[in-house]
Order: sequence, then structure tokens, then C-alpha cells
Amino acid sequence: MGAVDSVAKPSVEQLSVSKVAPFLVDCDCHHLWHKVDDLFPYLPRQYVQEIKDFGSMFPLGGWTNVPGTHGYRIDHDVDETTNLAEFTVREHVDRYGIDVAILTGQSVYPVVGMTNLDYAASICRAHNDWTLEHWVASDDRFRMLLAVGPNDPVQAVEEIDRLGNHPAVVGIMLPAGGRNPYGNRVYHPIYEAAQRHGLAMVTHFGGEGRGQTNPPTAAGYPTYYLEMRMARPQIAQAHVTSLICEGVFEKFTELTWVFVEVDSWWIPGLLHHFDSDWKSLRDSTPWVKRLPSEYFRDHIRVGTQPMEQRPRREDLYAFLEQSRADEVLVYASDFPHWDWDSPTTVKADLPEPMHVKVFGENARDAFKL
Amino acid sequence: MTAGDEIVVCSVEELPPGARYEARDAAKHGVTVFNIAGELFALLNYCPHKGGPLCRGRILPHATSNEAGHWKFEREGEIVKCPYHNWEFDIKTGEALYEDRLRARQFPVEVRDGRIVVRIRSGESPRAGVRST
Repeated sequence: MGAVDSVAKPSVEQLSVSKVAPFLVDCDCHHLWHKVDDLFPYLPRQYVQEIKDFGSMFPLGGWTNVPGTHGYRIDHDVDETTNLAEFTVREHVDRYGIDVAILTGQSVYPVVGMTNLDYAASICRAHNDWTLEHWVASDDRFRMLLAVGPNDPVQAVEEIDRLGNHPAVVGIMLPAGGRNPYGNRVYHPIYEAAQRHGLAMVTHFGGEGRGQTNPPTAAGYPTYYLEMRMARPQIAQAHVTSLICEGVFEKFTELTWVFVEVDSWWIPGLLHHFDSDWKSLRDSTPWVKRLPSEYFRDHIRVGTQPMEQRPRREDLYAFLEQSRADEVLVYASDFPHWDWDSPTTVKADLPEPMHVKVFGENARDAFKL
Repeated sequence: MTAGDEIVVCSVEELPPGARYEARDAAKHGVTVFNIAGELFALLNYCPHKGGPLCRGRILPHATSNEAGHWKFEREGEIVKCPYHNWEFDIKTGEALYEDRLRARQFPVEVRDGRIVVRIRSGESPRAGVRST
């Protein structure tokens, strides 16, 4: 028993939850630093000095945020002394019986908007080394995505070649805030390296509208956080259509791309429309040899979070069937953010025949676990 | 009524107006008593939306507005926002403010001999707004 005041931070008791599937993969477990200083042991001297003198100068946005202490939920007992890796293991990985938790980062998503490409590349290298030492080393259920700066493909490929063979590295994170849609050929050297190392590409929303990137929507900058959240599917669709139209999956036949935290409601509508228009305009992109929806089914995966909601269960099930959810969705928690989805609530929403694939087997294939 | 049907949460002094007190292991998810301007309300610490620890959320007023960029704050201290998904719940009734037919479970609260007692028994409708003094 205990008093709880108006700024409650109770300790969370250990409550194990029965496992939702025999093999459970979380495709979006955010791992966070306390502050950028945590990277100092891994950064070159000149950048440590610059950060101390001037601050990190990460480009910011005013329309999206992750409230709470360091982005943790308000009911999480986290402060600046918390070992966040141990906290994640205890409160999430152990609690839900997660077999593989893929660390998706967050702190360095703004690299996509940095004009200083050497600084961006250094931040990414440091973040990767810090992740290996402070997160991956603490539990063998963690896997990681390499942070790379997409706007300097030469350094991005160097980083993929440096760490791509590490057994804990399963993919490469390209935050959604691209200067171009990600099918653009300037990025193809990154995909060649990813395929060569057997790594998946992953895009989480992030970086849109910050620094030297594009506005989050095609009509310009959103005003409110709520509005910004509605923009996420738009950017995912931009990247999906670009990847397919530029023939990325014809050029890199082994490549898998996982989109995370971009909703899923757009999938059936886009694919139907995309297939229909391909039949009209195929001859202007004849290297797109198959129906766009076939490339999507073979190469693209989408995280479940936020899990689609419909007023009636039959509507939800119809949507899941139209999306071919059993092939395309991969469970993603978005731990530790406030709008996350626990495995148990997603299990209640998904038809039982989809559980094994969505909770684990689709991710096992995508990330070669 | 057996001893398992009710719990002593705390003393009256430990729950002044504006505060809340959680009986952490009660009714499986915990039961929290809120003191709103001297009236007591008890809710199950389980959000009917997706099972989050509702009673540990931020306690806020009800924000309303008739014009973009302008706020009015009403019912200070009467709304709790769940730590998961931030949905707004009326502490006094357990009702979600913006979802039909969604209500957090309430329990009857009594003050007995200077102690705050919550009755944990299914099928009994709670007395709203029991005064603490």
C-alpha cells in the first residue's frame, strides 16, 4: 500500500503475463539514452567539444513529442539514475515473454535533417557502438538496427560494412524524414550493402519536417501533435510507392523493408489503387514487372502499432483479410511510449489463426532471426 | 459480509482533498481512492479501454474551448488521463468522457472510525461522493 500524489511514480510490481505466441518478436522496442552525453565515450574529440560548447544542435520539430521522463510512460518509475536496458528487460521483455526485442532507437532519428553529414555519420557510429555496449550486451534477446545517415550513402555503406556482420545486427534504420522518397537511386548503394549483409531495411516515422528535410505532409507543416500523427501514413505511402515504382525490389530481390508506427489502415486502399493504375500506366515504368501489391506482399512488412480499431469486430476482421495481415503485419509494441500496444491487447484484436505469424514468424523471416 | 469483502485503504488524515491513495494489491489490479474537495471516490486501477493502470495517470481539469487557440479549464482535479493512450475519465463516475458506454469500475467508499474503507464486492452499486468528514 502507498500514498500516490499528483505526480505519481510508483514502482511497478513484477507481473508476468502469459505468452501470446510460441515465438514472440517485438519489432519496435525503443531504446533511449538519458542524454547525448552518453555518446561521449564513442564520439570523436571535436564533436564532444562542440556539443559541450554549443549543444548537440539536433534539428527539432514543434509538432510531435514523446512526453514523460525520457519518453517513458508516466506510470514507469524512471529517472536519470535508471539503467534503462535493465528496466526494459524487466518491465517488458521478461514480463511478456518476448523472445526477440528489436531495438529501434529514437534519439538519433534527427540525423536525417542534419546538414553536417560528417557529424551525422559520427553520431550514428557512436550510437551503434553505445547500443552494442549498453543494450545488446545486457540481454541476449536484444537485436539492433544500425543507425546510418541516408544523405551520405558512402559513409552509410561504410558503417553497414563495419557492423553489418555482427550477430546482433538485424537491420538498418532509415527514419521516414527523407530528402527524397526512398526508392530514389541515390540511396541504392545502401540497399546493396543491406542485401549483401542479409539485413532488413526499417523505416520508423521520425525526422519529417526537421532541419533539411521535407514538410511532414504534402500540403505543408501540421500545426498540432494530433495532426502530425495523422501525417505518418502519408509518408509511409510515399516511400512504399517510390520503392516499388523505382524497381528497388527488382534490383534487390532479397531485400525486405519493414515500416513501423505508420498505421495500417491505408494498406488495402493503396494496394488496390496502385494495382489498378499500374495496369493503365505500366508501360511508362516497365521495370515494374509485377503487380505492385505482389511486391508489397513479398518485400514489405508493416508493424501492428497502432493496432487498427473498428467499431465492429467483423469490420476489423474484413480489414485484416483485405490487408493480408497474416502475411504483412509484424507485432510492434512501441515500448515505452504512451500510445503503445501490449501483446495481450493485440492478441485480443487478431483472429487466432493469425497469431503465430503476426507475433513471430513474419518477423523471423523478415529479420532472419 | 466477510473480511475479504472490504479493505481499509488508509486513514482520513492520509487522504486530504486533492490527493489519491492506492491499495496496490486490492481487487487484483489495485483500488485507488480519490479525495475531490472532501468527497471520496474509489476506482479500480484498470482502464476499460486497454487495461492500463488508469488511476496512476495525470489528474487534470476538463479542457474545453469555443475558439482555436483558447482554452477553458473546468472541473479541476476531476479528470484522470490513463497512462496508456491518455483517454479522459471522470473520476466521480468512472465514465470515459469521449467514448460511449465505457466506464471504469467503481467501488463504494465509507469513512468508519477515521479510516477509509472500500467495499470490494461485485454487483453492488457504489454510493457516489461519500464525504470524508
